[in-house]
Amino acid sequence: MTTNNPSVFLLMVNGQIETANFPEYDDLYCKYCFVYGHDWAPTAGLEEGISQITSKGRDSSQSLVWNFPLDITFKSTNPFGWPQIVVSVYGPDTFGNDVVRGYGAVHVPFTPGKHTRTIPMFVPESTSRLQRFTSWLMGRRPEFTDPKVVAQGEGREVTRVRSQGFVTIQFNIVTKDMKKLGYDVTPAEQTPAGRPAGP
Amino acid sequence: MAELHIIGQIIGASGFPESSLFCKWGVHTGGAWKLLSGLKEGQTQVDIPQIGEMAYWSHPIDLHYSTKGLQGWPKLHLQVWHQDSFGRCQLYGYGYCHVPSSPGQHRLQCVTWRPVGTWQEQLAQMFVGGGPQLRSPDLIYSGADRYRLHTEAMGTVELELCIILRHFDRYGVES
Repeated sequence: MTTNNPSVFLLMVNGQIETANFPEYDDLYCKYCFVYGHDWAPTAGLEEGISQITSKGRDSSQSLVWNFPLDITFKSTNPFGWPQIVVSVYGPDTFGNDVVRGYGAVHVPFTPGKHTRTIPMFVPESTSRLQRFTSWLMGRRPEFTDPKVVAQGEGREVTRVRSQGFVTIQFNIVTKDMKKLGYDVTPAEQTPAGRPAGP
Repeated sequence: MAELHIIGQIIGASGFPESSLFCKWGVHTGGAWKLLSGLKEGQTQVDIPQIGEMAYWSHPIDLHYSTKGLQGWPKLHLQVWHQDSFGRCQLYGYGYCHVPSSPGQHRLQCVTWRPVGTWQEQLAQMFVGGGPQLRSPDLIYSGADRYRLHTEAMGTVELELCIILRHFDRYGVES
């Protein structure tokens, strides 16, 4: 099926939430969701998911393996509001309650091909010493009510965070019709003077 | 009109005397540029890193400009601040970088500097903190009045930006 005058472009995102590295914590699971602008709409695939609980391996790298699949396709007319993946990691504290161990976000890569992204994970901190004390007492640490705030640029100046780990995500990106809509995502290639003649 | 998308993140900063940093940022453009959507300035969160000395902000940037001319290609200017445990803020560095002009993904390292005062001021800064600041922050991205300043090197801010151009080739602009 070919159309000469497309009105939308497509962005296909495949990949996996591969591993995480949290030196201080173990038995973690993660949630992901995509945050995107008004012009964007998913056409296929899952917009959010929740992974299994994983423990550290016995090798020296101490990484947590999720190997959790991502597969989604978006359509849009405008790159503004390019999708971001928001990952939040949870795990049990010493009393067995699930508490957050990190939030992080990254833009879905822009150019076709395979990409690996390592995203820093951070948790919000209590703003006052009294709150810090009560949260220590109650065993509840501050969380974002909506993890999607980490994909927004507004209202962040009031948050204090502590970064304490990394999550590695692999992406495979395919785009369709971006060139036809006039968007240049890759540098203009030097036009080859002539291809070497084949045998 | 030609359009420019700047999408990416201010990842974080390293090489500063202390962590617990945040960053005020803004984009400066010439008169021919019009911001269609997105935030052109902001402030990041304060990060207190637990592993390593790099402070991570993961601050998203998403800007959509249209332009009638190339003059005044967008520049990103940054101010790195340190917040201590009492909530007092101290300037740690100024820096700016041009937004890359070629489309695609770019990893940028923006170096920063801060003004140095007289030796009396430096001595006072050692004990009570603070330090000189620029009265007009446009000096960060203009080269006109810099010769009167004495500065010292601070850390670097890391950014990842993706540039998407539209219809630049229609006007014969090569990038």
